[in-house]
Amino acid sequence: MRFELDAVYVEEEMRATALARRVIAALPPGVPVYHVPDGRIAARADRGAADPFAAGKRRMVIMRRRSRFLTGCPAASNEFACCGYLVMELASNCPMDCGYCFLQEFVADNPGFQVYANYADAFAELDRVQAAADRPLRIGTGELADSLAFDSLTGMSRDLVRYFAGRAGLTLELKTKTDEIENLLDLDSRGRTLVSWTLSPERVFRSSEHRTASPSARIAAARRVLEAGYRVGFHLDPIIACDGADRDYSALLDELFATVPAARIEFISLGGLRMTPGLRAAARRRFPRDPMLLGEEVLAPDGRYRAFAPLRMRLYEAINRRIAREKPGVRVYLCMESAATYRRVLGAAPPAPAALGARLADGNRRDG
Amino acid sequence: MSAPADDDAVREWAAARRLPAPYLARWLALGPDDRAALLEAATGLRMRAGQLIAAFDLLEEISVRDARPIAAILARDEVRRILNGTGSGPGRAAALLAALRALRFPRLARATERIAREIAALGLPRGIRIAPPRELASGEIRIELAAHGGEELSRLLDALSRHATELARIADLVAGVGWHDDEI
Repeated sequence: MRFELDAVYVEEEMRATALARRVIAALPPGVPVYHVPDGRIAARADRGAADPFAAGKRRMVIMRRRSRFLTGCPAASNEFACCGYLVMELASNCPMDCGYCFLQEFVADNPGFQVYANYADAFAELDRVQAAADRPLRIGTGELADSLAFDSLTGMSRDLVRYFAGRAGLTLELKTKTDEIENLLDLDSRGRTLVSWTLSPERVFRSSEHRTASPSARIAAARRVLEAGYRVGFHLDPIIACDGADRDYSALLDELFATVPAARIEFISLGGLRMTPGLRAAARRRFPRDPMLLGEEVLAPDGRYRAFAPLRMRLYEAINRRIAREKPGVRVYLCMESAATYRRVLGAAPPAPAALGARLADGNRRDG
Repeated sequence: MSAPADDDAVREWAAARRLPAPYLARWLALGPDDRAALLEAATGLRMRAGQLIAAFDLLEEISVRDARPIAAILARDEVRRILNGTGSGPGRAAALLAALRALRFPRLARATERIAREIAALGLPRGIRIAPPRELASGEIRIELAAHGGEELSRLLDALSRHATELARIADLVAGVGWHDDEI
C-alpha cells in the first residue's frame, strides 16, 4: 500500500464480505478499523477538520452501494461532443490529490474514500446492459475514483478483468494516475480491458498532481500492461495552457511515443482545464500557491472557467498535429468541448456519442 | 517605515474604507515590503475598498504565478507610471486595475488588442459592429448591423462584402487560427 490511511470504517453489513476481509488483511499495522452501522455517515465531511476534503481521502469507508453502479458519464451533456462512455461507480474519491480535481466540488459533502463491498452486484447490471446493447460499450471505473489506487488493498481489478474477459461487446476501462499494475499482469483480459492513463507534463505533475505516479512512471506502466496483453489509451486531460504548454505537451508526447508505439494506442483524449466557479474557489482555497490554477481562464459560455478560446484551440491543434505527425490515424477525441470546437480542432463533425463510444470500445481490433 | 507603524496605517485605511476582515488579515500577513507597497498604492490612488480588493486579488495571483513579490510587481515601469502619474485618483485606480489585469492575463491582453486593432483597421461604417466574444471566451464572433431603411442596409452589406476576406481572418483569429508563434 503506498497511500496512507488514518482509519478504515467497515459497515457492519459488509464486514464479512471478501473485499472487507482482503482490505483488513492487507492493512499495515496501526491503521485502526471501526465497524459502523451506516457507512454513509462515516463518509460525510468532517467540518471540524482544517481540510475536510483531504481528511476524507485518508478515511476509507467499506460500505454497500445502495444505488445503481452503472450511470452515464457525469461529463455527458447535449452541450458537448460526447464519447458515449458509461461509468461504473465502484468507489468514490481518491487517495491522490490533484489541485484541479473536480471531486473537490463533486464530493465535497461526502469525501470519505468509499469503496463498495457489494461491487459484484454490478456484474448483474452489466449482464443486463450487455443483453440489451446493440453496440460495443466502454465502461470505466475511473470517474469518481482512480481505478487502480488502492488496488493492492482491494484487489478489485482482478475480478473486473476476469468478468469482462468473458463478455463480448463490453470493454472495461481502468483509468489511473498510478503505476499500481501488479494485479493485472498475470491475467488474460482477452482484449476486453483497456488501461488508460491520464498524462500531464512534468511541470503540471510537480505543481498539481500530488501523490500521483510521475508521468514517466505512468508511461512505463503502460508499456508493461501493453506487453501483458492489455489495450492502452491516454487522456491528456486537463490540458493546462500555461506559458510554454505547447513545448511541454510536445515533450510529453515524445516521451510517450518513445515508450509506447503510437500504433498500439487505442485513443488519446484531449480536454482543456475547465472549472466551475465553485470548483475554482475550492481548488484555490486548498492550493493557493499552485501556479497551474492561475492560468488565463475566463468564464466560458458553459459557465466554466476555461483558457480563452484562441489559446485553447491553438494548444489543442498543436497537440493534435504532434500526434498526427507520429502516426496519422491515432484516434483523438475531445472531452467536454462543443461540436463546433470539435470540428475546428479535429477537422470533422463529431460522431454521434453511440458511434464514437462503439469505436472507442471496439478500438484498433476492428478498424485501427 | 517600521512594521508596527505600517500595521497601524493599514488598519486605519481598512477601517476608513470598511475593508472586509479577511482582506485586512491577508494584507497584514504580507511581508513588510509588500504590505507597504500596497498601502502606498491604496493611499496614493485613494482607492475604494472594492478597488483594493480587485487589485489585491490580481497582485496575489500574479505574485504566485510569477514567483515575484507584490512590491516588485508594483515597481514595474508600467505600474509606477500610473502610481506616480497625474490625474484623478479614481482614474488612476481604474488604470492600475487595467494594467494589473493585463499583467495577470498577458496573452489574453495581446490577443484582445490585436483583434481590436484589426477590426479598427477595417474602417467599417457606423452601423456595423464587429463583436468578438467577451474575454474571447468562445470562438464565436458576432456582427451586428443597425440600419434605418433598405438603402442604408444595402450600404452596410456592401461594406461587409468588400471586407469579407479581412473579416474571415478576424473570425479565424477569434477561433484560434492565424496567430504568430508565441503571440498567445
